[in-house]
Amino acid sequence: MTRCVLVVDDDPFIRKLIATTLEDVSRFNIHEASNGLEAVEVARRELPVLVFLDVDMPGMNGIETCRRLRADVATSGATIVMLTAAHGERVERDAEEAGADLFLTKPFSPLALLQLVARLGEQGSA
Amino acid sequence: MEARTETELLLELEQLRAELARQERESADKERQLERYAADLRETFKQERARSQELHSSYMATVRALSNAVEARDAYTGKHAERVAAYGIEISQAIGLQFAGGEALEFGFLLHDIGKVAIPDAILYKPDKLTDEERALMAQHPIIGSEIVRGIDFLGDAAKVVRSHHERWDGDGYPDGLAGEEIPLAARVFAVADVLDAMTTERPYRPASTLAVAREIIVQGAGSQFDPIVVEAFSKIPDEAFERIAREIE
Repeated sequence: MTRCVLVVDDDPFIRKLIATTLEDVSRFNIHEASNGLEAVEVARRELPVLVFLDVDMPGMNGIETCRRLRADVATSGATIVMLTAAHGERVERDAEEAGADLFLTKPFSPLALLQLVARLGEQGSA
Repeated sequence: MEARTETELLLELEQLRAELARQERESADKERQLERYAADLRETFKQERARSQELHSSYMATVRALSNAVEARDAYTGKHAERVAAYGIEISQAIGLQFAGGEALEFGFLLHDIGKVAIPDAILYKPDKLTDEERALMAQHPIIGSEIVRGIDFLGDAAKVVRSHHERWDGDGYPDGLAGEEIPLAARVFAVADVLDAMTTERPYRPASTLAVAREIIVQGAGSQFDPIVVEAFSKIPDEAFERIAREIE
């Protein structure tokens, strides 16, 4: 079974960038969602092992989305990586409380992104 | 159409300004994000280049060690292989040949005699004339050598130098008796470089020839021992180029 990664951001540019960066280098299937509600829906269907979640989205923001993913037994096991703007210490604290595992600060380093996914991939296959 | 009030216009202008500012922020964000990608790309490229240089020098060191191991048995040839390799590269460049993987070519030149590891000392060092049987065994060294390097993928076509370095343009060479362009070009180049070094190096049984004499002998061998085109290119290389190599590799 191919494992799934879900990329959630209201900015299609960021979604495309992350999806393209992870293409071919990981053994993951990549899905995208442009808002919190869609993210929760796709997550229930695809059961991602890894979710990239933008904090700052219109409508349901990333913190709330994170909380919802953690609250659902089907999706609570995913590793959640929050995409945050720089100097968002308060946001990070809120996100941690909502159940986020890791943070990737925008503008993010593609190498850091790849290393993170490779690390999770190794853990998963071990 | 109803005329809009000044307030409405001002409000609209304000909204447009806000929208413009938002778009500017977004595009600045995108720009920063792309700059980050560019920075990582640059860094990755630098690291990869350093790594490949490191890999290349360890390849070179390995091949040199191997060729030195062969030559260690052959007291009088000294750094023959290294010099021949340098002469060979010089001649290849003069032909205007872009060998795919010039460094692989150098490896092939360096390892040309590796098959001699299988030749017994009694034959390799025999001061007298070899018997027919001994000569036949000696003539096996290109075949043995090509077997030894068969698994070394990065040698590519250069591995052919090992097998064909004793072939002659007129077909009188060994081990396969190839003639003319049947002989791999790298081996045809090598043949000239090999004779050049053999003649200009002192041996127990004869003194070293001068470069001028060696050149003359090689030109005489064009069309019989050597490929005329290789000899022609060789003739155009100035003495300084060969003298510099001989000085640097002693």
